[in-house]
Amino acid sequence: MFQHKKPSTMNSHHDRPMCVQGDSGLVLTTDPKPRLRWTVELHERFVDAVTQLGGPDKATPKTIMRVMGVKGLTLYHLKSHLQKFRLGKQPHKEFNDHSIKDALDLQRNPSSSSAMMGRSMNEMQMEVQRRLHEQLEVQRHLQLRIEAQGKYMQSILEKACQTLAGENNNNASGSYKGIGNQGVSDVGSMKDFCPSLNFPPFQDLNIYGGDDHHQLDLQQNMDRQSSLDHGFMNNNVNDGLCLGKKRSSPYSGSGKSPLIWSDDLRLQDLGSTLGPQDDPFKGDQIQIAPPSTDLDSISDIYETKPVLSGSDHTIGDKKYEAPTKLERPSPRRTPFSTERMNPIMNSSGVPHGRNSPYG
Amino acid sequence: MNSFITSNFRTQQASSIITTSLTQLPMNSAIAMAMEFDDTFQLDIADYSSTTTTTTTTTTTTTTDDDHGCNWSDWSPVVDWEALSGGQDDFHDLIESMMDDGGLLNPGRVLANETTSNSQNSVSSTDTMAIDEENNGEDVKGLRLVHLLMAAAEALTGVNKSRELARVILVRLKELVSPNDGTNMERLAAYFSDALQGLLEGAGGIHNNKHLINSSNGPYHHHHRDENHPTDVLTAFQLLQDMSPYVKFGHFSANQAILEAVIHDRRVHIVDYDIMEGIQWASLMQALVSRKDGPPAPHLRITALSRGGNGRRSIGTVQETGRRLVAFAASIGQPFSFHQCRLDSDETFRPSSLKLVRGEALIINCMLHLPHFSYRAPDSIASFLSGSKTLSPRLVTLVEEEVGPVGDGGFVGRFMDSLHHYSALYDSLEAGFPMQSRARALVERVFLGPRISGSLARIYRTRGEEEVCSWGEWLGAVGFKPVNISFANHCQAKLLLGLFNNGYRVEELASNRLVLGWKCRRLLSASLWTSFSLDSDL
Repeated sequence: MFQHKKPSTMNSHHDRPMCVQGDSGLVLTTDPKPRLRWTVELHERFVDAVTQLGGPDKATPKTIMRVMGVKGLTLYHLKSHLQKFRLGKQPHKEFNDHSIKDALDLQRNPSSSSAMMGRSMNEMQMEVQRRLHEQLEVQRHLQLRIEAQGKYMQSILEKACQTLAGENNNNASGSYKGIGNQGVSDVGSMKDFCPSLNFPPFQDLNIYGGDDHHQLDLQQNMDRQSSLDHGFMNNNVNDGLCLGKKRSSPYSGSGKSPLIWSDDLRLQDLGSTLGPQDDPFKGDQIQIAPPSTDLDSISDIYETKPVLSGSDHTIGDKKYEAPTKLERPSPRRTPFSTERMNPIMNSSGVPHGRNSPYG
Repeated sequence: MNSFITSNFRTQQASSIITTSLTQLPMNSAIAMAMEFDDTFQLDIADYSSTTTTTTTTTTTTTTDDDHGCNWSDWSPVVDWEALSGGQDDFHDLIESMMDDGGLLNPGRVLANETTSNSQNSVSSTDTMAIDEENNGEDVKGLRLVHLLMAAAEALTGVNKSRELARVILVRLKELVSPNDGTNMERLAAYFSDALQGLLEGAGGIHNNKHLINSSNGPYHHHHRDENHPTDVLTAFQLLQDMSPYVKFGHFSANQAILEAVIHDRRVHIVDYDIMEGIQWASLMQALVSRKDGPPAPHLRITALSRGGNGRRSIGTVQETGRRLVAFAASIGQPFSFHQCRLDSDETFRPSSLKLVRGEALIINCMLHLPHFSYRAPDSIASFLSGSKTLSPRLVTLVEEEVGPVGDGGFVGRFMDSLHHYSALYDSLEAGFPMQSRARALVERVFLGPRISGSLARIYRTRGEEEVCSWGEWLGAVGFKPVNISFANHCQAKLLLGLFNNGYRVEELASNRLVLGWKCRRLLSASLWTSFSLDSDL
């Protein structure tokens, strides 16, 4: 329903006008000839009335109007609606569908069968157009929603940073080594991670509200892109390629990325596989610039594996055999050593944009 | 088997390996067990003989993709056998001594099996000459892992229950795998054997469920989620969101439905069963604020349920989430207020404890079992859902994990289903970000590992007999009415998945239910319900 509220450009000259909600709850356009929006509730009542009157073939606009008793509802509205109801062309979903309804209202000429043919052709066309348009709308909304989540996530990370920085201070002045086994190294790694992230204070989120100028920019950007996308919507609708590219705008706009990036590692990771043009956060590298150790050091704390593959075997054996008290040595397994090194070599480039070419 | 050959799945993918082995499930499980048992001490060629069908299958499959940065060139079957065959006698002895202790297996069968495999040694060694690609070795290993896991599960709970046998198999498994390295199947097998180990230890001594979940003794035990460092949890959460559509799929589908349901409302009240970090509501607020031609942004009130303890859903955490949401709402100009509602000590929900305001559109939001959520007791969920029915909510949004149909049920059946489920999850994460093995390992350790051990523990406790009814079905059964998924919502889900990998699928399984799947495996579903009566409203 939300989406349907958006005017369709296809027939925007008459669909654009604002809607007014009458005191009777009816939604009417402000056209010279006000057209009615058949809301779900209204339609529900309509159906009830029709049923009460013995089905769509027995019910007439007049009787329906009497039974429904909704102020402002005219014979004209009911006639048209009943017509379509009789034709059985109104699966429930399409009742939300104002543009198609409006389009149908435009050329009301139900008497001749050829006109009906034409109408259903037109209906199909309109349907296709409408769906395309709706997809565009959805795409735009999706984009904004993803950004909003990203922003929010950023605020969480920022908070975590502050907390850790606090812990850091406490530890520095404190007497003992820190909190638990991970305390010391964690603080170490987070110290790097924190200041360099340089998250803006919360006001940054104003991008959505306070900062009109920015919002406008973003909006224009979107509009421009979506009109561009429109051309090859047919192809792109399902692969979301255009969306993928559009993603970058919010971050370059705000100058921050919610991702914790390990810069050089990421470049190393992606450089070979991704062309630079695919790097969604290109503009952000300097601002984010977390130390290359962030994820590494965090993970290392938990890694029971030694960093050097040379010592794999000792640890491995200890691990596997201690609980079982088996005396024989476990078979040496060469395969792992390479793979164990790999994570360290590849390190932890954190996932990047969604337009991953791997898929 | 056929589907495996004809499918265009990458051969080393864990889920397809399991699919393959699932088709072999009808094989007499006792024999399977004996074979795997055999495998554990014969170690080498016997394994290939016991899975002869598999070997031939994989041989016919052309495997070309080796692009995932896993260097498997060292995992040549030939080399491996040489390394392993030396240990054969030792293991043989070991198992025999185990058998003397356990005495549960029929020695005759083992003996017979042994001779079979010995007699087939020559055959299979010629067979293996045909295996010249590493990936075949990988697949064979994957299958072997699945079979070992199955055998361990069987040994733990099956008719010929033998804890000793299970222990031996687990020892063997742990030699083969590590949670941090190797293919998906290997890492997955590591978590599953770890979980089985937990069950084994728990079953051996005290029946202490807490012990099963929280035990952290030994290097193989992974921490319960709340025991992970907050930074890790956050990082993993961020990674999970970026690597997969799971989190956003649930949130966005629910939010879109909410937006559609409250389009004419001026006051909206959402009761959130499990708010976690509250990230779901950022995008909803954004959408409410930016809706152009409705009434201006409605007042939004969110009531988060909280519970005792000091985990991620404790009062303190919920309060912090509330503060964050309030700040976010303020920053975008969304009228907003936040409330908490405490669950009772046994996590049941009392509708009367909820503060309701007349004229508010009431929404019930219930995110269950997203990959990053931990387990919620069914009683608590049921009390929440049935309690909320009395409030006649406009909309109930439910996101839950999809459980596969389990043929004969029982622990092993559920166990295999679970294995299949998580293998699809693992594969999907890998497909999205093949290079980021460290990142994946973090997500797996923080979220998936604990989930695996938790769900196995539950299956084990109930012996797989817990009814496998989805909460969606439950809602329908208690009288909630389905609410259709809109075109826009479906479209949004498709677009969202398009941002990730084309292995993701969205199905509209019912008019009110969207399902997110990876390849042919369904993983998550979002469904919409109402108990709001239009008649009373009109």
